[in-house]
Amino acid sequence: MTLDPNDLDEREALAALCKRLGDDEFVLAERYTEWQVRSPSLESDLALSNIAQDELGHARLWYDLLIDLGYEEPEIVYERDADEWHHSTLVEQPFAEGDWTDPIVRSYLYDVAEKLRLATLEESTHPKIADRVGKIQGEENYHLEHAQNWLERLVADDEGKERVQNAVDRLFPYALTLFEPVDPDVEDDIVDLGLRDATLAEMGEEWLSVVIPYLESLDLDVPESGVEGMDGYAVTDEMLPEHVGRDGSHTEAWSDLFEEFTHTYHDLGRDQSTKIMGRPE
Amino acid sequence: MDIETVKERAGPREFSPGDDLPEEYRKAATRMIEFHANSEIMGAYLERPFIRQAPSIDRKLAFSAKVQDEIGHGQLLYRAAETLGIKTREEMLDDLAEGRGKFLNCFHYPMDGWVETPMIAFFVDGAAMRRQATLRRTSWEPYAHAMDKVCFEEGFHVKHGEDILRTLMNGSRAEQRRTQEAFEEWWPRIIQFFGPTDDKSTHHDFAADVGLKQMTNDELRQAFLDMYVPKARKYGLEIPEYPRVSQNDEGRWVVEEDDLDWDEFFTVAKNNYEPGLGQINGRARAQEAVEWVRDVIEGDGAPAGGRSPQAAD
Amino acid sequence: MIWEVFRQEKKGDYHTHCGNVHAPDREMAKQFAAIQHGRRKPTNSIWVVPKDEVGEIDTDDVPFGGTTDKAYRWTTAYNLQTEQAREVEESDSEQQEAEKQRGEA
Repeated sequence: MTLDPNDLDEREALAALCKRLGDDEFVLAERYTEWQVRSPSLESDLALSNIAQDELGHARLWYDLLIDLGYEEPEIVYERDADEWHHSTLVEQPFAEGDWTDPIVRSYLYDVAEKLRLATLEESTHPKIADRVGKIQGEENYHLEHAQNWLERLVADDEGKERVQNAVDRLFPYALTLFEPVDPDVEDDIVDLGLRDATLAEMGEEWLSVVIPYLESLDLDVPESGVEGMDGYAVTDEMLPEHVGRDGSHTEAWSDLFEEFTHTYHDLGRDQSTKIMGRPE
Repeated sequence: MDIETVKERAGPREFSPGDDLPEEYRKAATRMIEFHANSEIMGAYLERPFIRQAPSIDRKLAFSAKVQDEIGHGQLLYRAAETLGIKTREEMLDDLAEGRGKFLNCFHYPMDGWVETPMIAFFVDGAAMRRQATLRRTSWEPYAHAMDKVCFEEGFHVKHGEDILRTLMNGSRAEQRRTQEAFEEWWPRIIQFFGPTDDKSTHHDFAADVGLKQMTNDELRQAFLDMYVPKARKYGLEIPEYPRVSQNDEGRWVVEEDDLDWDEFFTVAKNNYEPGLGQINGRARAQEAVEWVRDVIEGDGAPAGGRSPQAAD
Repeated sequence: MIWEVFRQEKKGDYHTHCGNVHAPDREMAKQFAAIQHGRRKPTNSIWVVPKDEVGEIDTDDVPFGGTTDKAYRWTTAYNLQTEQAREVEESDSEQQEAEKQRGEA
């Protein structure tokens, strides 16, 4: 499919998809960078910094597709209103100082979802999406393996396991918002147009079917794991937190974070952002 | 090997971990490399808020990559220091956390805003790179090897810093004015980066005699000013009136040392500079907060290297 | 037991992998390596490392340096068109060389 520039539904569907993809990556990276010069060791610092840069790079690839739709760069990041960001509330959660289990658990929950959703984009009818998926997948395997390697080592210790369990309890409901719609009608269009070949409900079910058995194999309790055995795995409204992010509703931490990363841009009175690199191919 | 032999043989990459070196050499080299490594960490700590505060995605990526590189340099340098057998990395990081570890004067000063970033990322990194390039010829082979990789990477830092300065000085009037103000605040500290002049330093320069240092403070300061004063001017920065700097008959830059605040410099050097304690303590808190992870991974009280004494026998 | 052998040609150089030897323990491995790998090529030092202690991660496991644009970490992204300090220029050309090699790989 080539994008019909006059079809407003198509444009809206593509924009919504790119924003939810890009915003997740951007905000997650923003949080990861808080661990720079604060990770448990110099080596783990280098690794997480790299993951942050990968995710930011992926955000840039998705945002770049918005430029095709006529967006200007400032309105994508620095001049967009805070309540028009559509990332999942999982990625905006603040870290407690020293709680290394949080970025690790967050990364695991996120990267499983990322792997699944990239797979649903491989055959996208929008060729640029399909093309970029391959590049991004090349970097995502490391992220997931990194999270799992850490998880397996952390749960081998009593204190580590208790901390991991707390992080799972805290983050799991937020992770479910990864499968919430920006707008239900637009989400239908995304699938109907073939931009993505699975529904959010299907992706949520698949995610649960991967994450729950894995966490249980580490002898961790998973909130809501009782869903299995009724009619399979499913994300239900009762499992969701108050703010889901996708619809523009965010937790308190988001406004502080947003304030911080847009500070310089506004303080200097900029009306465009610095471009070092050309547009990605 | 006695110290006289060390001095006779002293040359680029002359000594390696297999050599039987006197404690005096090993201690001096440890002190120097530890200082360098600590400076990488504290420089990274100072710059890290600007990953978040960067005014574009490109700058954010570059700042993250730069801070990552500095941590990588710390990793290389602590390892090079460890090979001397005097201190472990953990001991050096603990000393840094507890306020005993020393590091570069410039990284003690707090930074408030984006306009200050090129002061570190361009001028201080430019100064550091002048010095580091000479250390590829240091006599401790592992240190020289670390410098190979550091110098390979560091060109990106300096050019990135220059690019930020270029953007600011081509920006609005307010950006230019605020950048000039930041420059005036940082300029004396940047000049002090290389320490007091050689004829004023009271102790005999042992590090030069044993080949650890390859250029004197004076030579390095000269080389820095020769290169970076014209660059500052090119971007429209005015060199502040004080400290007085002037060109001598040979066209080289000379600094009036008495115009600089050496009391402050030595207060800073001893980790007693009040406004800078927040950085030392902030990093210490961060290190302490993840102590539990190191315990989980390595096990409580495990000796360095993670092997029990029995297994090592 | 197999020992991997790393040879340093002259003082200040890096120890680079040059082969291996069969030997029952470290002392014997050093003696054998000195002859097998140090008898002809210029040699200043040799390291021997038990093969079983060597871990490997290769391009099947991880795309070294990433698969998306990371130009921001290279000097070549910053087109300043100003005179650079000698050491910055050296870094620049070393990075250009590395980029070229990465491209060819």
